[in-house]
Amino acid sequence: MGGYLQYVQTLDYQALLPAMIVGGTAVIALLADLLLPRRIANGTAILLGVMATIMAGLYASLSYGVHYLAFGGGFVLDGLSVVFQEIVLLSTLVTLMLFNRRGVSEDRPAYVALVLWSSTGAMIMAGAGSLMTLFLGLEILSLSLYCLCAIARDREVAKEAGFKYLVLSSTASGFLLYGMALLFGATGTVTISALIHPATGIHGLYALGMGIFLIGLAFKLALVPFHIWAPDVYEGAPLPVTAFMSVATKAGALAALARVIYTAIPQPDAHWLLLPTFIFAAASMLVGNLGALAQTDIKRLLAYSAVAQAGYIVAALAGATELGIRSAVYYLAAYAFMNLGAFAVAALLSSDREEGTQLVAYEGLAARQPLLAAAMTFFMLSLAGMPITAGFLGKIFILSTTIHTGYWPLGALLVIGSAVSFYVYFKVIRAMYARVERFSHPEVRPPSQLPWIAVAICAVAVIVLTFVPVMPGDATFFVK
Amino acid sequence: MVPVQMSVDPNAYAALSALMFFIGVLGVVLRRNPLITLMSIELMWNAANLSFMAYSRAWLNNAGHIFTFLVITVAAAEAAIGLAIVVILFRPRAQSNVDDAMLLKG
Repeated sequence: MGGYLQYVQTLDYQALLPAMIVGGTAVIALLADLLLPRRIANGTAILLGVMATIMAGLYASLSYGVHYLAFGGGFVLDGLSVVFQEIVLLSTLVTLMLFNRRGVSEDRPAYVALVLWSSTGAMIMAGAGSLMTLFLGLEILSLSLYCLCAIARDREVAKEAGFKYLVLSSTASGFLLYGMALLFGATGTVTISALIHPATGIHGLYALGMGIFLIGLAFKLALVPFHIWAPDVYEGAPLPVTAFMSVATKAGALAALARVIYTAIPQPDAHWLLLPTFIFAAASMLVGNLGALAQTDIKRLLAYSAVAQAGYIVAALAGATELGIRSAVYYLAAYAFMNLGAFAVAALLSSDREEGTQLVAYEGLAARQPLLAAAMTFFMLSLAGMPITAGFLGKIFILSTTIHTGYWPLGALLVIGSAVSFYVYFKVIRAMYARVERFSHPEVRPPSQLPWIAVAICAVAVIVLTFVPVMPGDATFFVK
Repeated sequence: MVPVQMSVDPNAYAALSALMFFIGVLGVVLRRNPLITLMSIELMWNAANLSFMAYSRAWLNNAGHIFTFLVITVAAAEAAIGLAIVVILFRPRAQSNVDDAMLLKG
C-alpha cells in the first residue's frame, strides 16, 4: 500500500460526509419510526430521506473541483466521484417519491432506511480508491438491495426475486473478490491506481485476476452473458426498488469500472485485457434490445433495455479517452432520469392492489390522462434516442468516441441496437395512443400523487440535459 | 514475483484456493438445496480469503490480512440476510429445492 494510514484528518471525514449524512439519516428514520405514531412516521421517513439526499447533494457539489485522497487513498475525492455521487443522490431522491403504494407502506421507514443505505454504498463505490473500499461499498449496496427485494412479504414473486438476486449477486461478488485476491497477488497492492500491469511481458496472474474481476463487475452491470438475473429480479422487486436498482447499482459499478480502466490500465498495450468487457458490451446492445422486443411487462421491458443501455455506456469507456468518460457520464445522467421518469409514470398507474406495469394498463392512456401519456412518450423517445432528446445526444457522443478511438464496431452495434430499440419503445407509445377505443382497463387511482413530483423532476432534468449538454470536464481528472 | 521465502510454497496456497473456488462455483451451479448454494458461495469467498492471506505473507503487506477481516465481517452479514430470505421463501414448503422458486421465468 502506498501511504500507510497514520493520521486521519478532518478533511478525510469531510470527503466522506455526503455518504455519512445519507447513512446516518437512515438510522434517524428508523428511530423516528419507533418514537413517532405510525400515521406521522411514514411521512416523516420520506421527508427525512429527501432532506438528507438534498443536503448531501449540495455538500458534495461543494467538493467539485477538489482533488483529495482521503484515508490514505482508500476514498478518492475527484471529479469522477463527485459526479457519480450526484447521480446516485438524485436517483435516490426520485426513488423516495415513488413509495406511494399502501401495500408497502407498513414498512415504509424500513424501505426508506434501506434505500438510503444502499445509496450510501453506491456513493462509497463512486469514490473507492482501494479494492477494499470498492468491495465494502458494493456489499453495503447489495445487502440493502437483497432486503429491499424480499421485504414485500405479501408478494411471493418478491421473495423469489430477493433469493435469486442474493444467490447470483453473491456469486458475482465471489468472482470479484477472487479476482481482487489474484490482482493483489500479482501486484502486492490493493490501491486501484497502483494495480498497474507489470511492465515486462504478459503477466498470467495479473491477466487472470483482472479477467475474473471484470467478470464480477460485468455481472453487477448486467452485461450479456451475465444478465440472466436482471429481468427476473427487476420484475419481482417492488417498483421503486426496481427503479433504484436500475440506476444506482449501475452508477456504482460504472464508477468502479471507469476508475479501473482509467487509472489501473493506462498503457495502450495492456488494453487487450479489457477486450472481453467490450465484447460483453457489444453483446449487451444486441441481446438487450432483442430481448426487450417480446416483453409485455414494463419492468421486464426496462430490464432488458437497461442491459442494452449499460452496453452503450461501457462502450464509451473503450479506449479510455477523455471524451469517452465525459460521454459516459453524460449518457448515464440522461439514462438515469429517462428511466426513473418511466418508472415514476408506472407508479402513478399503480393502485394499492396492483402495480401498473402490464402493457395493458397503458392502452388508451392518452385519452384518460393526456399529460401522463405525454410524459411517458417523452421518456420513451429519449430512451430510444429520438433526435433532439438527451438520449440522442448521448448516443452521438458515444458514437463519436468509438469512431475516434478505433472501436468503431461498438459504434456500429450501437446504431443497430438503437434501431431495434425504436420498435421496443414505440410499442409502449403505440399502446398509449393507438388503441384509444379499447377502454377495457379500469380506471386506476394511485394512492398518492407524490410520483408526479418525480415525473416533473425527471422531465425537467432530461430537458435541461438536452439543451445544456453538460459534460463535466473535471470528471476526467483522476487522482493517482 | 514473491520476495519472501515461505515454509510452504505460495503456489501451493494458490492451487488450493483455486480448487476451493472451483468447488464453490460447481456447488452453486449444480446443487439444488438453497442452504448448500449459500455454503458454496461462502466457499468461493473463503477461497479468496485464503489467497489474500497467502499473498499477504508473500508480499509482507498486511493489506491482505485486513481485507480478509473485512470479507469475514461482510460474509457474516450476507449469511444472516441469506438465511432470512431462505426461511421466508421456503418455510411454506415441505422441502427446499431451488427449482421450486420458478414464478419468475428468466
